Order: sequence, then structure tokens, then C-alpha cells
Amino acid sequence: MSYDLIVIGTGPGGYVCAIRASQLGLKVAVVEKRATHGGTCLNVGCIPSKALLHASELFEEAGHSFASMGIQVSAPTLDHAALLGFKDKAVDGNTKGVEFLLKKNKVDVHFGTGRILAAGKVEVTAADGSKSELETKNIVIATGSDVAQLPGVTIDEQKVVSSTGALVLPKVPGKLVVVGAGVIGLELGSVWRRLGAQVTVVEFLDRILPGMDGEVAKSFQRILEKQGVAFKLGTKVTGVDTSGTGAKVTVEPAAGGAAEVIEADVVLVAIGRVAYTQGLGLAEIGVETDKRGRVVIDPHFQTNVPGIFAIGDVVAGPMLAHKAEDEGVACAELLAGKAGHVNYGVIPGVVYTSPEVASVGKTEEELKAEGIAYTVGKFPFLANGRAKANNQTDGFVKILADAATDKVLGAHIIGVEAGEMIHECAVLMEFGGSSEDLARTCHAHPTRSEAVKEAAMAVEKRAIHM
Amino acid sequence: MTTPLKTRLLVVGGGPGGYVAAIRAGQLGIDTILVDEGGLGGTCLQRGCIPSKALIEVATRFAHLRAAAEGTDPAGLRAGTPSMDFAQTRAWKDGIVTRLADGVAGLLRRAKVRHLAGRAVFSDAKTCRVETGEGAFTIAAEAVILATGSEPVELPALPFGGGVVSSTQALSLSALPECLAVVGAGYIGLELGIAFAKLGVSVSVVERQDRILPLYDRALTEPVRRALERHGISLHLSARALGHTDGALAVEGADGTPFQVPADLVLSTVGRRPRLEGFGLEAMAVDVKDGRILVDDQCRTSMSGVFAIGDVIGEPMLAHKAMAQGEMVAEIVAGHRRRFDPLVIPAVCFTDPEIVVVGLSPEEAGAPERALVGTVPFLANGRALTLDAPAGFVRVVARREDHVIVGVQAVGAHVSELSAAFVTAIEMGARLEDVAGMIHAHPTLGEAFHEAALAALSGGSARH
Ligand SMILES: Cc1cc2nc3c(=O)[nH]c(=O)nc-3n(C[C@H](O)[C@H](O)[C@H](O)COP(=O)(O)OP(=O)(O)OC[C@H]3O[C@@H](n4cnc5c(N)ncnc54)[C@H](O)[C@@H]3O)c2cc1C
Ligand SMILES: Cc1cc2nc3c(=O)[nH]c(=O)nc-3n(C[C@H](O)[C@H](O)[C@H](O)COP(=O)(O)OP(=O)(O)OC[C@H]3O[C@@H](n4cnc5c(N)ncnc54)[C@H](O)[C@@H]3O)c2cc1C
Repeated sequence: MSYDLIVIGTGPGGYVCAIRASQLGLKVAVVEKRATHGGTCLNVGCIPSKALLHASELFEEAGHSFASMGIQVSAPTLDHAALLGFKDKAVDGNTKGVEFLLKKNKVDVHFGTGRILAAGKVEVTAADGSKSELETKNIVIATGSDVAQLPGVTIDEQKVVSSTGALVLPKVPGKLVVVGAGVIGLELGSVWRRLGAQVTVVEFLDRILPGMDGEVAKSFQRILEKQGVAFKLGTKVTGVDTSGTGAKVTVEPAAGGAAEVIEADVVLVAIGRVAYTQGLGLAEIGVETDKRGRVVIDPHFQTNVPGIFAIGDVVAGPMLAHKAEDEGVACAELLAGKAGHVNYGVIPGVVYTSPEVASVGKTEEELKAEGIAYTVGKFPFLANGRAKANNQTDGFVKILADAATDKVLGAHIIGVEAGEMIHECAVLMEFGGSSEDLARTCHAHPTRSEAVKEAAMAVEKRAIHM
Repeated sequence: MTTPLKTRLLVVGGGPGGYVAAIRAGQLGIDTILVDEGGLGGTCLQRGCIPSKALIEVATRFAHLRAAAEGTDPAGLRAGTPSMDFAQTRAWKDGIVTRLADGVAGLLRRAKVRHLAGRAVFSDAKTCRVETGEGAFTIAAEAVILATGSEPVELPALPFGGGVVSSTQALSLSALPECLAVVGAGYIGLELGIAFAKLGVSVSVVERQDRILPLYDRALTEPVRRALERHGISLHLSARALGHTDGALAVEGADGTPFQVPADLVLSTVGRRPRLEGFGLEAMAVDVKDGRILVDDQCRTSMSGVFAIGDVIGEPMLAHKAMAQGEMVAEIVAGHRRRFDPLVIPAVCFTDPEIVVVGLSPEEAGAPERALVGTVPFLANGRALTLDAPAGFVRVVARREDHVIVGVQAVGAHVSELSAAFVTAIEMGARLEDVAGMIHAHPTLGEAFHEAALAALSGGSARH
């Protein structure tokens, strides 16, 4: 069997690339070692975590914020099996969807572990050990990423779990220690805190959400603290002892100092993810990888070996599903002889806590580092009618605009539904729009998005509702 | 004894049109007086958008708890049977309104706008008299902005009073009725009807036309109609309300047969009309046609120096239109060159599911000959599945000849916040390719906008 394109891995990068290539007339196959499609994102990432976040958020709301609104109810409980079932249903619906789409778009599916024998040759080892060989003009590596390990700490997925284990804890832990204050740690930490765990987040750096706008991170940390999450920043984990009933986490100041032991029932290691290329045979065929194990590509996604391309988490850039998807589309279009392109300047990022945090474009720190003069417009949800009517007033919108041209360079939002609101800013930035464009656009009332408009007005110090 | 006052700008009406105009004028250094008789914030804040959304929010949470109590919440929430302390709900809602209205008062103070609480009655186009708690004033102004808003339309068969109320009273009940009949299936009637149904009230809706939400196309309203059944609301279409007596609403059905709908309360929401009476408009030489004040694209009336904004100039009667016009007129008075020319004004219907309408529908745009349409159901959207909200869709409408997007509509449980991106795309002159080529965050409902653009480009269906 000979193909135009074989994509290894059917995460969001891989399956989207395969479908797009097939739509453009290429003969395409995918190789996937999991039993289901959708990769990290659909199986053990975005989708199951968001399902748990949604369910736990409703549970928390039910327990806390109803009396003032006139609703009386006994303390609600959560049926843990039903909760996990809800999550599984969301995962199932999504992975089945991808299966259907691949079929609909006439993409051949080969289940098994792919190994690149040479440019144009892929070997597939099925679960039963049987091997087959596929021929192809081009290969796209979309093998994604895996959990980063903490040196000296073994993830057993019982007491010491990765994000994957944290999605299926059989019961709510009394005490949860989260190692790493990145997106995944804060999201899953929030899930289990809402369900009753006492959560402590240990982070090596002196701030949470590294890479996000500093002011946003700081004020988000305060919101999480108010919700009951404890933080130990500038602190490193040096070991976890699981020999007793629970786990004993040894930590010490990152700068050096006296060690301390924190007791936990479960420890979640969420210090990041690393590119996954095991068993692909890259070294043998000479595909270059960087110091962090990521496949090195040129601006057209091609590796140093002609005919072999790579996209998604396995290459450099933000480890986000939509970045992987967009690279998948662009790569497919280039392979089909079209002009594919990814605008890395406008990739939104969302933290799905409550409130959510969303951002697109530059942070203040980045603008300062690049020496760009900018103006800031801010507006709090406390002054927004919809947020008030819904009893959800935490957070604010912050717009960063070029001081000389007023072009919007970055937008950062903490607030309920921030993940949806950020798209308006992304659309604007795709067009190189100004803060005035945003300020003059008619926003529906009463919506939270009116705060985006007001923040844009605040750039020129003329917000109405502040 | 009346105190004479002189001012550069007089704004009449403290709704979203009037108070935004006054604040913006104050920011621009214009000496401004705002006169309002109905409470700062107007219809919107006192008895419209804000209290209705607060009630909807309570109702949604209560319904969710009822599902939890019945063991039907899919995510596993379980609770004892919840009950409503509606007096507390009202106090909570009143608290929000008071805080926001105090906020507006503070903003006016900060902008150095003088606020007089009372009714303005004009003796000529630039002079009015106001009776307030602190005495009477006459105001002579160089420029006037009329922002007197709108009021509910009354059906001859259902005069307000007794058991027949408008949205205003429906939003300030101190106890829940047992059976409510809503007359008029526009957005106000349905938003409130659904909210009351979720609070456990037995609700029926009577509508003269053969469909709900007659202003929107059927594809958009169908998910809401289906949801009415789920909310346990009985719907009577092509039916006419005849009168309310003894706990029942008399109705004439589609085939002319009369029947009764149980109703200890009737909520009549058959529309709103500009408020033109009771303030001496006759003395102002301002042209009025079809029940609204006529204005040009700068909101100037036929009388020089007199502007009119918001609901009083007619449809669309939306708070954000009033605000946008208020801001603009203040700038015109300050000498800026402005014109009211938004490409689109979004409309959001906070029913369950919600509806967002921006720009042209497929039919209005001339589909299929002259327009491309792409529709993507939320059933294929990951975020919708995690929110347990798979009903509804996003629809993009673009000109066939150049792919410029002219309309975006959506229906679904949480679509209201999507409206801003739809509007921005249209205001930026986006083509389908632009939206198809940009990155939306995953997993979000907004991805469906991107997918709908792809769908329109590929003749209707998308990747997901
Ligand atoms: C808990 C969690 C939450 C997340 N939440 C979000 C979020 O909300 N939003 C967001 O944008 N991102 C989120 N992410 C990140 C997101 O999941 C990844 O960025 C995305 O999945 C990357 O896509 P990919 O296609 O590059 O790789 P992956 O999704 O990792 O897919 C790679 C696929 O390749 C397969 N594979 C690997 N090697 C082989 C081989 N040799 N042969 C055959 N198959 C192979 C794997 O089995 C896998 O299916 C989250 C991640 C986690 C862990
Ligand atoms: C139940 C309900 C729900 C609604 N929901 C929404 C929604 O979700 N989104 C939306 O966009 N719109 C909504 N609306 C419509 C919105 O409220 C109006 O479009 C908006 O308030 C119009 O603003 P305005 O400034 O023109 O007038 P108004 O808000 O009506 O304000 C006019 C003010 O002027 C005062 N006034 C009038 N005459 C005089 C006088 N002679 N002297 C002194 N004061 C005077 C009145 O007392 C009033 O306070 C809703 C309306 C209702 C009734």
C-alpha cells in the first residue's frame, strides 16, 4: 500500500492534518498506538479535564453561593461514579467523533506503534506484536508529548499521579499536593479542591503561571488563595516518600534553606510536558532533535530529513491543542502545494478555572523586554452588569496597545467565560486593529464582553462605567 | 419658587442612553444636567436587562438543583429538594440594582454632571421645568438630548392592573404565582416565562402569530421552541388573549375555539413603544412619525440643537444601541465629527438556550444564490460536550461574490459571550477565509465560529 501522506499520531495535530490533507486530494493514512483517536487532548487532556472542571464548579456553586439568592437547599453531595461517568461520556463522544471524521474523509487508519524506517517507510507494530510496512511520499510526526518526570520521584498513578491519574482518582483525597503552578496543576488542583480536598501548590519559581502576564498571575493567585488553595512559591520538591499510609513530600526553598515535610494523600506532579518521540527511530534515521527532545523543523514544518515533517507538541512552541491543529492544517496545505501559514503572534491561551484566565498576544513583561512603548486599559468585572447579575465579579480585562499607533498588542482577561471573550480580541488582532476599533464596536448588553470594550476605552482614559 | 438653571447640555432620561451621554459629555468638559424621574439606569437597570438577567440566573441554578434532587443531573450532583425564599431573591436582586444605580450616580458625580430627580416638562425646545424633592427648577439649555426611552404596550383586552402585569411588575413580585400566563412570545416574554417555569411556576405562553420569537428565523428559534417543552411550558400559537377573569386567561385558539388557560397572574409582553407623552414634546417642534422621534444619522431631530437617542427613536430597542448613541451625541455636542454607522448591532436573547443575532440571516442575505451559509452544530464541539450543552449551532452568512461575512447567528446554552467576536469580525470586514484561518482556543464554543466559516467555504459542512 502506498500513500501520499502518513501521519503518526492522531492527537489534534495529527488527525486535523490528515483530514485536511485528504480534503485537498491526498491519499492519507494515520498510525495511532492508542485504541482511540484524539491523542492527549481528547483522551487524557483538555476534554476530560474540562468535563471535571465543569461538574466540580457546579458542585461548588451549589454548596456556597445560593443562600443569598434565595435558594435554600441542604448541602449537596456528588456521586463520584456518576461524575467520572460524565467525564467518560464527554471523552467518548469526542473520540467517536474523530473516528467518524477520519472515516468520512477517507483516511486509512492503522492502529499500532509507528516507527520510521527511512523517509517514505513506516513500520507499524500492532498491539498483538504483528508488524506491517507502509510506503508513503511524506511523513508527518504528530506524536505529541508526555508527562515530564520529577527527578527522584516515581509516578505510580496511585499516590503520586500525573495529570492522567488525577483525572480518575477513585475518591476525593483529603490532602492533595500539586507540584507545579502551571495551567494543568491549577486546573486539576481546582477540581479536587472544589470536591473537598485541601490543596497545596508547590512551585519552584516565585510566581504562578509562568509566561502569563505578571499582574494577571498575581491577581489570579489571590483569587485562588481566597478560594482556599495554599501556595508555596519559590519552593522545590526534593523527594516523595510513599512507604507509609500517605505520602510525605519533602520541600525546601528554591534558593536553599531548611527542608520541610508536607503530608499528602495524593501528590500530583504537573511540572510540564516533554516531547514524545520514543520508538519512532528518529536517531537511527538522523532526524534532528533539540536539547529538550523536540523535533527541529524549518518554517515549513520539515525536519532536516526531506519528506519528514513534524507538528504539535512534539515541536517547539506553546503546547496547546489549537496550536497543534493549526500547524496540522498549515502543514497539510503546504504538502498539497498551497500556502499554509500559522500566525504565532495570535494564539489564545485559556486556563479553565473559575474564574477563567485567558490571554492573547504580548504580556507587559514581553513588551518591556522588547522595548515597545505601550498603554494599558483596564476594567474590572465588579463594574459590569452581567457579572453583577450573575454574582461572579472576580477579575478584570486588560488591553495593551502600542503607545504610538494604538494597535492592540495583547489582551488578558480574568473572569467567568474569559475563554470565550478572548476571541473578540484575537479577531481584532488578526486584523491589526486598534484599541479604538474595539472601543467603538457595539457590544451586546448585558454581556461580560462589555468589559472588553470598556477596557479598550480605558486605554484612552475614557471608560464610561469606571 | 423655582430656581432657574442654565446649562450647555440637558439630558432627559437616565437610562443607558441618557446616562452614558451625560457621563461622556462630562468627561469632555461639557457643562451638563441630567434629569430623570424613574431611577438612574432607566428601564435597563431598574426594570429590564439587569433584574431580568438576575432572575434568570437564580432560576437556572434552582432548576439545576431540582435536577440534582431528582437524581437526574448528568454530572452526578445530588441534593435534597431545594426551596425558594422568593422574598430573599427579590432582596438580592434589589441589592444589585441599587448598587449599580448608586454606581451610575457616582459616575455622574465624577464627570461633574448635575443630576435632578424629577420629570422634565418642556415649554419650548430648549426650556423645561422640573419638580424635584428639593424644589422646582427651570432649565434653559443650549443643546438637549431626549432619551426618554420606552414603555410597555397595553392590550385593550388586558389592561394593566389587578392580575395583569407588565415586565416591570413581573420583575418585582414578592411571591411566586402558581400559574402564569405569558401573552406575547417575544424575547422579554420568553426570557421571563422560562425563568418562572424553572422556578416551579406552571407557565403557559399565548402568541398571536404562528411561531415564537417572530423577529428571528425559524432555524434559530426551533431549539428554543423545543426547550419550552422541556421546561414544561405549554405553548399556544396563533392564539388570541381575550381577557383575564377569576384565575383564568380566556383565549381564542387557532381554529376560533375559545378555551381557558389557568393564570393567577398574566404577564403581558406584547411589545414596547417610545415614550412620547407627558413631557411637552408637542411644544418642541420635533418631528414624530409612526410613534417615534425622527432623527438623522447623527441623532439630530428636526429641531436644531435637539437630539434623540435610544428607545425613543424606535427599533432596535436595545440598551447597547442607546449607549452607543449616547456616547456619540455627547461627542458631537463637543464638536467631534461622529456618525452612527455601526455595520451591525448584536441582539442577544437570554432564553434557554440563548440566541445571538448579528447582521443578516441567510434569507436576508439572499442565500443560496447570493450568499454562502455555513452551519456547525454544538454536538460536534468538544467544549459543548463538557458543558453538557450539545443543543444549538453557530451559523455564518457571507456574500457569495467576495466571501465577506455579513451575518453570524448562534443558538445554544452559553452563546451570549460569543456575540462580541462575531461583531468584531464583521466590523473588521472579515472574509470567510480570515475566520477560517485564525486560531481559536481549544476547547471553546468559539471554535464553532471558525468551523462554521470553514463549512461555508466547503459548501456547508466542516471538519469537525
Ligand atoms: C490535563 C491536560 C489538560 C490540557 N488542557 C488543554 C486545554 O484546555 N487546551 C489546550 O489547548 N491544550 C490542553 N492540553 C494540551 C493538549 O492536550 C496538547 O497540546 C495537544 O494534545 C497536543 O496535540 P498533539 O496532536 O501534538 O499531540 P497528542 O495529543 O499528544 O497526540 C499524540 C498522539 O500520538 C500517538 N503516538 C505517539 N507516538 C506514537 C507512535 N510512535 N505511533 C503511533 N502513535 C503514536 C499518541 O498515542 C497520541 O495519541 C492539555 C493537556 C493535558 C495533559
Ligand atoms: C424586561 C426587559 C428586558 C430587557 N432586556 C434587554 C437586554 O437583555 N438587552 C438589551 O439590550 N435590552 C434589553 N431591554 C431593553 C432595554 O432596557 C432598553 O432598550 C433600554 O433601557 C433603552 O434605553 P433608553 O436610555 O433609551 O431608555 P430607558 O432605559 O427606558 O430610560 C429612559 C428613562 O427616562 C426617564 N424619563 C422619561 N421621560 C422623562 C422625563 N420627561 N423626565 C425625566 N425622566 C424621564 C424614564 O423614567 C427612564 O428612567 C429590556 C427591556 C425590558 C423591559
